[in-house]
Amino acid sequence: MEFAELIKTPRVDNVVLHRPFYPAVEGTLCLTGHHLILSSRQDNTEELWLLHSNIDAIDKRFVGPLGTIIIKCKDFRIIQLDIPGMEECLNIASSIEALSTLDSITLMYPFFYRPMFEVVEDGWHSFLPEQEFELYSSATSEWRLSYVNKEFAVCPSYPPIVIVPKPIDDEALRKVATFRHGGRFPVLSYYHKKNGMVIMRSGQPLTGTNGRRCKEDEKLINATLRAGKRGYIIDTRSLNVAQQARAKGGGFEQEAHYPQWRRLHKSIERYPILQESLIKLVEACNDQTHNMDRWLGRLEASNWLTHIKEILTTACLAAQCIDREGASILIHGTEGTDSTLQVTSLAQIILEPRSRTIRGFEALIEREWLQAGHPFQQRCAQSAYCNSKQKWESPVFLLFLDCVWQILRQFPCSFEFNENFLIMLFEHAYASQFGTFLGNNESERCKLKLQQKTMSLWSWVNRPSELSKFTNPLFEANNLVIWPSVAPQSLQLWEGIFLRWNRSSKYLDEAYEEMVNIIEYNKELQAKVNVLRRQLAELETEDGMQESP
Amino acid sequence: MASAPTSKYNSHSLENESIKRGTFFILIDKEVIYICPFNGPIKGRVYITNYRLYLRSLETDSALILDVPLGVISRIEKMGGATSRGENSYGLDITCKVRDSVLSYEGHSRRDMFEILTRYAFPLAHSLPIFAFLNEEKFNVDGWMVYNPVEEYRRQGLPNHHWRITFINKCYELCDTYPALLVVPYRASDDDLRRVATFRSRNRIPVLSWIHPENKTVIVRCSQPLVGMSGKRNKDDEKYLDVIRETNRQISKLTIYDARPNVNAVANKATGGGYESDDAYHNAELFFLDIHNIHVMRESLKKVKDIVYPNVEESHWLSSLESTHWLEHIKLVLTGAIQVADKVSSGKSSVLVHCSDGWDRTAQLTSLAMLMLDSYYRSIEGFEILVQKEWISFGHKFASRIGHGDKNHADADRSPIFLQFIDCVWQMSKQFPTAFEFNERFLITILDHLYSCRFGTFLYNCESVREKQKVTERTVSLWSLINSNKDKFKNPFYTKEINRVLYPVASMRHLELWVNYYIRWNPRIKQQQPNPVEQRYVELLALRDEYIQRLEELQLASSAKLSDPSPSPSSPSQMMPHVHTHF
Repeated sequence: MEFAELIKTPRVDNVVLHRPFYPAVEGTLCLTGHHLILSSRQDNTEELWLLHSNIDAIDKRFVGPLGTIIIKCKDFRIIQLDIPGMEECLNIASSIEALSTLDSITLMYPFFYRPMFEVVEDGWHSFLPEQEFELYSSATSEWRLSYVNKEFAVCPSYPPIVIVPKPIDDEALRKVATFRHGGRFPVLSYYHKKNGMVIMRSGQPLTGTNGRRCKEDEKLINATLRAGKRGYIIDTRSLNVAQQARAKGGGFEQEAHYPQWRRLHKSIERYPILQESLIKLVEACNDQTHNMDRWLGRLEASNWLTHIKEILTTACLAAQCIDREGASILIHGTEGTDSTLQVTSLAQIILEPRSRTIRGFEALIEREWLQAGHPFQQRCAQSAYCNSKQKWESPVFLLFLDCVWQILRQFPCSFEFNENFLIMLFEHAYASQFGTFLGNNESERCKLKLQQKTMSLWSWVNRPSELSKFTNPLFEANNLVIWPSVAPQSLQLWEGIFLRWNRSSKYLDEAYEEMVNIIEYNKELQAKVNVLRRQLAELETEDGMQESP
Repeated sequence: MASAPTSKYNSHSLENESIKRGTFFILIDKEVIYICPFNGPIKGRVYITNYRLYLRSLETDSALILDVPLGVISRIEKMGGATSRGENSYGLDITCKVRDSVLSYEGHSRRDMFEILTRYAFPLAHSLPIFAFLNEEKFNVDGWMVYNPVEEYRRQGLPNHHWRITFINKCYELCDTYPALLVVPYRASDDDLRRVATFRSRNRIPVLSWIHPENKTVIVRCSQPLVGMSGKRNKDDEKYLDVIRETNRQISKLTIYDARPNVNAVANKATGGGYESDDAYHNAELFFLDIHNIHVMRESLKKVKDIVYPNVEESHWLSSLESTHWLEHIKLVLTGAIQVADKVSSGKSSVLVHCSDGWDRTAQLTSLAMLMLDSYYRSIEGFEILVQKEWISFGHKFASRIGHGDKNHADADRSPIFLQFIDCVWQMSKQFPTAFEFNERFLITILDHLYSCRFGTFLYNCESVREKQKVTERTVSLWSLINSNKDKFKNPFYTKEINRVLYPVASMRHLELWVNYYIRWNPRIKQQQPNPVEQRYVELLALRDEYIQRLEELQLASSAKLSDPSPSPSSPSQMMPHVHTHF
């Protein structure tokens, strides 16, 4: 297919762009295969450069011959283009619609993007499972790498390499896989070096209505317990939901078959409900009718902060089991690809100082989201403005980032990265020039040959010039477990995401700049102190030499 | 006194007592059970001094569990009778103002304690002096010197050829709730002022609060005109407003902001008040700002207390918060102040602000608008002057609104108007983190001593009474405490900028409940005090100073070395990078 077929009118003059907080810009609109570009004619500077894949929905309307297209982006921005000429406007609108909803992944921009920067470190090789495992293997010999899923035959949504208890052989893993939803047998997610306790994750057990059991499954998870120890199974669903799942072949671990485990139920909502919540929230945030007296009510009615609270509470519970109770845990919901990953990754933010560094957080996303098979392609296909009733979209990853932001707000000096880093990850999960978030799991990414054909997001982010934008100037390594407060007064709407386009952050940015400046200045001063000290030392030795005969 | 202060207990409790100058003495110490609203009953020893009540745990390292200035107490009640059964059924129930803390305690022989507490918490009812008059604390700065009206008006460039300073109210005979010194139009004679006073509620005539340094437009404050049901007019008042308008020739109209909702202004006619009608005041435009009265504000804050104390309403937090309407009131006050500031700054029109009596909403609006317009008021001393001028000297009725030393806790005159103003300031400081010299602690300290009765600053309703009571001679000013310890109250992010007008966003989306103030007593809310970012920043600044100092020392040392006659390979100027302190 040629993109040209989809672009009937590649260029229109005298188009006016309206954005909140900016003066209107008149310029020339150009459509390319992947971008919508508007440049003002006066000084020819670039004004707008928008990826088609960032476009969530468009509205068009006409007043006489003047057409208006309202573009709603996946990052929640809304812009307006006034296009003279009805035909041009219709052409542009239909092109945008077609180009922003391309079916084939291989037509997406990452397959065409040629980086303008020199790749110092190839991000595709930055976080290999073997390297991650090495971090543990010095501390424990109870775990091993298994290649049982090499061809993605045992579990299509798992990576080829997983970490499992040493005593369990690959044959047993295959059997366990048949007993777990989507073949997602329990694997190691996190090893707490302080006391050797672990977080494992999996899909729900397929007990069904007649209470099927699987000896290998029981053996596998018991193998992770030390003698005489009990563990916790955290089911992210309420007991009620878990019971209903039995009718569809799913279920939960029966006490009788897992006597060494205590099961705890939490109720993190499933992804369709989270999507509804996002739509309501963004609607409320964008409501310009100024019926503001209802704002808090609408914020509450969206339930967004309730979901945040529920997810954080569950993550705290998991962290508590590990750090306070000294017990290992297994976490799952239904598929084990959404709420499960929210909990396992947030528990690590709480427990593990490394995951609060930039590198460590990237590794966490790579391990607990990308390789763990969170279906990014499905979940991030559309965002808050989509009206097509595709049913896979959900802001599961955004909720995770929001939870991280809440913890970051409460512990502003304990993270090496800043809010901009989280916003950047949100943007790239939905629309990007990089291949990192394409596909639903490792198996799909292999088939798409992303490593060969696209650039990794990490190749770009981890360059010093980019990193400086994402580094928290106040960071001071904090080796403690950090316990966030989940009281409603402690949780706040993430303005940097949800009110980003209808607030002016000028003054907050100034304060931030001020802080960066003083830190830079301190570094300079320190360097000068060192230089002077050295010179002084040299002078002294010179003196000494002159004095000695 | 009921229980004599033994030296043992004295030394024990003095360790945390900052008021040591003879005025402090223990009235009671006694073992009680404190029913902590958060953690249940705690065994402790209660101490009551003539300034405060505090409680040390008998269980955990005699930790200080409770520390309340007696001025904060609004109500003391006995609960249960001597014969009542069951746990925690007999004792005292102590309720505090604003601070969401109630002390219930169990213990027999509560009578002394009840009597002593009532005497010292409500001294007015017992013809005892308020603690501020006993307090002999000494500071190395005298806070009473902070505000000098003549100096402040001079700073504003007054008098000038349009505005003059008048001493007509020197003995408070023109208006007993106004300060002695007033700024009025040059063209209005003292006789004019007397005639205008007859037409303004409680004689609070329009006087200047602030003048724009460039366009010379002014903010003028007053009370409502006495229009009444019959729609009375007063030529002198009309002429006077016209004279005010003419001091600035850029715009042909004077803008009047009536802080009240339209209906309330109309209703006030029935009691002889009202507002400026179009017919009578041709050259004025009137707008209502829809801010509610002191009773609405009091009830709203009470609802806030209900949802955060003793337990924070968890399940429907946001809609509960919404139903208190507190943030909505904040929004309206801020919106009103923004309109005043904008009219003066961009609209180039002089503005007259009033409500009913001109001492509650009017003070909120003028002071907030001045804070937005004039960067001077955003410094620590500037803010003190602002409070001293627009609130204390212009007769905000602190004694009635707060009820210092008064036992009548249900008095309808009480209202958190000043607290609401401080809340608005806090909201602004959140939106402009670099604009204010002071930090959150400064605001909280002001509020703490609004109630504590340790300082004379907020005592009494107006200047005339304060003068009669010789408050400045007989009490210590709160600003003495603050100004002798300024570093504690400084915002490290402050970057002084002259002439920037601040327009906060007064949208509900950008207003927050001041959790660090309203919910600070709840141990379950994560306390971020002092703010970690602020703390870290202070550390960084200290580090900077240390580096600069070390650099200078090294430079000195090395230049000393270089100035030695011993030959040196390079010249000093090349070798020494000079420190440019660009901060």
